[in-house]
Amino acid sequence: MPATFDEQRRSRVRIVDILLAILVTVGILAYILDVLALRWGLSTAYIGRSYPNYLKAAWISLYVTTIAYFIGMGIGFVLGWARSVRTLPLARVMAARRREAVAAADGGSPGAGLFLGTLLVYGIKYYVRRTADAYVAIIRGTPLFVQIVFVWSAVLVFYPRLDPLVQGLLAGVIALTANTGGYQSEIFRAGIQTVHSGQVEAGRAIGLSRWGAMRYIVLPQAVRLVIPPLTNEYIGLLKASSLLAVVGSVPELTTFGRSEAFQTFHIFEAFALVVGIYLLITVPVSKVVEWIERRYRIPGLGIQAPRTARV
Amino acid sequence: MIRVEELEKHFGALHVLKGVSLEVQKGEVLVIIGPSGSGKSTLLRCINLLIEPDSGRVFLDGTQVNRRDIRPEWVRQQVGMVFQSFNLFAHLTALQNVTLGPIRVLGTDPTTAGAQGRKLLARVGLADKADAYPAQLSGGQQQRVAIARALAMNPKAMLFDEPTSALDPEYIREVLDAMAALARDGMTMIVVTHEMGFASEVAKRILFMDAGRIIEEGSPEEIFHSPKQERTRMFVGKILR
Ligand SMILES: Nc1ncnc2c1ncn2[C@@H]1O[C@H](COP(=O)(O)OP(=O)(O)OP(=O)(O)O)[C@@H](O)[C@H]1O
Ligand SMILES: [Mg+2]
Repeated sequence: MPATFDEQRRSRVRIVDILLAILVTVGILAYILDVLALRWGLSTAYIGRSYPNYLKAAWISLYVTTIAYFIGMGIGFVLGWARSVRTLPLARVMAARRREAVAAADGGSPGAGLFLGTLLVYGIKYYVRRTADAYVAIIRGTPLFVQIVFVWSAVLVFYPRLDPLVQGLLAGVIALTANTGGYQSEIFRAGIQTVHSGQVEAGRAIGLSRWGAMRYIVLPQAVRLVIPPLTNEYIGLLKASSLLAVVGSVPELTTFGRSEAFQTFHIFEAFALVVGIYLLITVPVSKVVEWIERRYRIPGLGIQAPRTARV
Repeated sequence: MIRVEELEKHFGALHVLKGVSLEVQKGEVLVIIGPSGSGKSTLLRCINLLIEPDSGRVFLDGTQVNRRDIRPEWVRQQVGMVFQSFNLFAHLTALQNVTLGPIRVLGTDPTTAGAQGRKLLARVGLADKADAYPAQLSGGQQQRVAIARALAMNPKAMLFDEPTSALDPEYIREVLDAMAALARDGMTMIVVTHEMGFASEVAKRILFMDAGRIIEEGSPEEIFHSPKQERTRMFVGKILR
């Protein structure tokens, strides 16, 4: 495609934008470095010596976050799907079955089994949905901090003999998984519900099953819609994993930084490292996802303009 | 080919179909007209079991198909449907839209399905649009892809629910032409449409529906020019104007 004059001008503007952004960032960083290193005497020796330990701590943060994130994704998808399905009042379902049974009566007697079966299937669906609603309300309506402290206390009480590290990891992974599961279910529910109902109907009309329509039509479209909020959720969860500092026995990045700060009194060096490493993870993650998003973008579907990520 | 007996459907308190019966022979084109909300779409959706009728019977080739022991998916493979709003799968190209059903439902291997899909797209005049996404096609082109998508399942009959009423006037002709060609090839069709020209040309019989009932049935000539029922006369008067 030949680049039009307009496109050329736009790409020139873009380059200027990027250069400006780099200039500003470098300026701010230089200023901070100047303040920290020269006026406050930031110890580069300490940083050079101990940054590998910080990286190790960051790996723990990443592991905990990633495990919780992907288990939470399973939970979130199932709950989100359950919550996106419209359920009818039981009375109406039973009335429809009764009408059907009467209609089929000339073919045979309507067994009580039909009604019991409907009641069972319907009851399960209804309570799965209600439970999912309640779960999400609790997760979203209470502080993550409280959830972590609660799970941690429960682990301490019920498994007092476990190694403190294992106790902490267990509590952390459970609390973060439960939390992100609740939030991701909201993301999936929105994604699934945003896919137009006509799409499902057209899929069903060519003979796809309910699951087939979900698998081949709703999910591929929903995935493109949920990638940005899911990225934000991952970044948010990584940041939230710093709350595990309250547990103390898991040497994740924040916990490690805090203990180093208190033990070595290199407070600014310690937190410069902590902050730097968090940024080193979150910024590239959102960049990579942005790239993936652009790569798989489909004309006319989902977000067309570049998104802004909350970092 | 398709027979419907005493179909009833409620949406909550709303009684949408009040005992509708009809029959379409193999190779016949039946046109249904009627005011908005009269239950035309609901009737079509009951025929391919996208909606479960409350009572009544739907027969396909003499077999009752709205029964517990027959999978509705199986019925929908036999009866293609084209929607007013096209409903092309937005994340798939034209060709992928056409081949999804054969590959995922019929288990056709992708190469064969692809070749068949290209033939079908050529048949509706869109050989060069195979790789375009729905958002890159005009309304008329989208609707023709939707027709090809339904044909790809090799259906015994086709249902059209106001296939041209969402189209800009300049695109209506190409869709109607594709449907007329299909009728000439002997496809059994039930078409909800208010395109009188098309109905007169292609259909042998027209049904007029109002408030969930079939009010009148006749040849295009009879329905459009000498309707027996007052309600038909009023409705036809409105759409002829
Ligand atoms: N899924 C549904 N739930 C509740 N009511 C519905 C549903 N589908 C249709 N209806 C109602 O049933 C009635 C008949 O609808 P239907 O779509 O069959 O009419 P129609 O003849 O196709 O009208 P139109 O020409 O506007 O398409 C309308 O009053 C409509 O609001
Ligand atoms: Mg309709």
